Amino acid sequence: MPQPPYKASLDPLIDLEALYQQAPCGYLSLSADGIILKVNQTLQRWLGFSNDGFIGQSFITLLTKGGKMHYEMFFRPILSLKSEVKELSYELRKHNGQVLPVLLSAIAIRNQQGEITLINVVLLDITERKVYEREIFLSKKRAENEKRHFQFMADQVPEMIWRASTRGEPEYVNARFCHYFACGQNQASFAFFVSKVHPEEKRNLLRQVSKSFRLGKELSIALRLLNTSGSYEWHLLKGTLFLKEENDDQGWFGTCTNTDSHVLALKEKDEFINIASHELKTPITSLLASMQLMEKLKGDPHSPMLPRLIGQVDKNVKRLNVLVSDLLNVGQLREGQLELHKGLFDIRKLIEDSLEQFRLNEKVEFIVQGAQGALKVFADPGRTEQVFVNFVNNALKYASGSKTIIISITYSSADVKVSVSDHGPGIPADKLDQLFDRYYRVNQPGSKYKGLGLGLYICSEIIKRHKGQIGVESELGKGSTFWFSLPLR
Amino acid sequence: MDPLAVLKRNNVKTIGKGSKTLLFAHGFGCDQNVWQFVLGAFTDEYRIVLFDYTGSGNSEKSRYDSAKYASIDGYVQDVLDICEALELKETIFIGHSVSSMVGLLAAIKNPEYFEKLIFIGPSPRYLNAENYEGGFEKEDLDSLFEFMDSNYLGWSSAMAPAIMGNADRPELGTLLTSNFCATDPQIARDFARVTFFSDNRTDLKNLTIKSLTLQCAQDILAPLEVGKFVHAHTPGNEIVFLKATGHCPHISAPDETIRAIKTFLN
Repeated sequence: MPQPPYKASLDPLIDLEALYQQAPCGYLSLSADGIILKVNQTLQRWLGFSNDGFIGQSFITLLTKGGKMHYEMFFRPILSLKSEVKELSYELRKHNGQVLPVLLSAIAIRNQQGEITLINVVLLDITERKVYEREIFLSKKRAENEKRHFQFMADQVPEMIWRASTRGEPEYVNARFCHYFACGQNQASFAFFVSKVHPEEKRNLLRQVSKSFRLGKELSIALRLLNTSGSYEWHLLKGTLFLKEENDDQGWFGTCTNTDSHVLALKEKDEFINIASHELKTPITSLLASMQLMEKLKGDPHSPMLPRLIGQVDKNVKRLNVLVSDLLNVGQLREGQLELHKGLFDIRKLIEDSLEQFRLNEKVEFIVQGAQGALKVFADPGRTEQVFVNFVNNALKYASGSKTIIISITYSSADVKVSVSDHGPGIPADKLDQLFDRYYRVNQPGSKYKGLGLGLYICSEIIKRHKGQIGVESELGKGSTFWFSLPLR
Repeated sequence: MDPLAVLKRNNVKTIGKGSKTLLFAHGFGCDQNVWQFVLGAFTDEYRIVLFDYTGSGNSEKSRYDSAKYASIDGYVQDVLDICEALELKETIFIGHSVSSMVGLLAAIKNPEYFEKLIFIGPSPRYLNAENYEGGFEKEDLDSLFEFMDSNYLGWSSAMAPAIMGNADRPELGTLLTSNFCATDPQIARDFARVTFFSDNRTDLKNLTIKSLTLQCAQDILAPLEVGKFVHAHTPGNEIVFLKATGHCPHISAPDETIRAIKTFLN
């Protein structure tokens, strides 16, 4: 067993004075007031002062201005209260004007009355460490900035974005998520999300989630989510497993896209195809019946039935023609192919002319009011007539009880306005806004009115393309006024 | 505000016996512990009220509202809340550093709470201005803030939370700073800005009660000229020049500080 070295053999090895003077750190002794009383050679060398340059100086003169304030506000009070200060990061001024970053620790020596008699200070050169510290600070700042940028981006996208633990607990949700559910970031738990899912899709969601999480497969579910106004909107929830860099920790990253308008548009289209099929089928059925009868009358060309049948065929073919034209018009509008053939024409004459056939065929009285004499506009006369005829047809169809239909033509310096008023049942106020939408019909499928619900949509598109305006005013029980205006230029 | 809630929020402690009350208000970056060397001299004759500003010391940090305490008025309200909660009347307010101006504004707003004010190292404005030597240029203060950001109460207390991420281990930050004043570094940073960017020079003339300025020698934060300015512009202000150096005579020279306070009180 090795013996501890004898004190006698140790003494010559450890020279206390040399240890103090040549220590790998700076030593400094201060009075209670901070006057430098003693300093070791290491510190003299570091700062480039001679011993005499230090002694009698106030320690504070070695500090930068920020350090001086810190010294008064923190160093002195801490030392007085705790008798000890640990690891303050200061900068000392060297003789040549440069600064030396140091870590300062100090201990206060007190007399029997508890007064501070001496302050011993140890200073460590941390020049290199400071460089690394700065790097760490900078990379941390960079990382935080990156995070902020991504968060900002995530909050800008119209989709919900989320990140969850492997068990599905959300760790992050973006602003869109919080906005849709009107919740805070920290409220977003898995249970919270599930509580917002439509009851019909809840089970499927839970099954899919557990399956995806078990197999690590991508998640993709269409579901309805409760919004703040209490109704459900269709969403597509997607999630993918991702590997976090450190220790192969896994988590989920996902989106949730609002597909409500898309789903509703598809539904609307289906509905429209349904209506269109019915509308087309009716005249075709009627045509078939007429044809069968005519087939039977083949040998009797003088049958009194024949002109009536021809009349019916003619009516049904015209009906089909109107329906197909409407469908084509909508197709053109969607493709942006509806061409206007503009020219200068008298709108008053155009209206009077097109009223002629109505006056011949209908028992209703048509009264034209307003501007007298020719009123020239620059527009597509055919399309303008189409709009006007559509208004009149609607009035005849939906306000069949109306004995008079009033057409009013007014103009200002900017435009000419044509209104068609009936005394029909009127239209509920909440339906007015949607009248000019595509596929919209006030009366749902199966109602007594025929039509595709395209007429007013086509009218509004025609007028919009003329940079004019179109609108409707209506009062229940009194009647409706449909109007359009065209700019005079 | 509910009195008990105030006492809890500001960690209010009452000691000593006497009909008169001394209300001690600590300065920036500290807490009520800074008064420990002077209290003993007053406990026999006075009731002593100590507190920590919201966000400092052992106050309820959760009550710290960065908007409220973004101006000195938030801290003034702390003092008034305490006066109301304890139903203080004709109190002697002793404020260190920034608390001098807090006391001044509180006494202008509600003079009935106070009888006398004692300012230790007061400064109505730290920044130099036209015809005014506050002692600091904007760059000096920026350098202090930078210094504090990288060095709040020592290297480890500043670095450790910054590197390790304090959010995950809040106990770490508390542990590191509790060796002196348990002040959150972020709050300390805000408090420093409130302190050093406030300008209360025009408020001085509105004080209606007696006050005392204790001016240290070689106080880098509140230089001699600033103390003289306070004395000259505050009606009814006395000034005593202490031999003590630095900014905290109640810590570095408690006996001299006690003597000066007692002389003023009697």
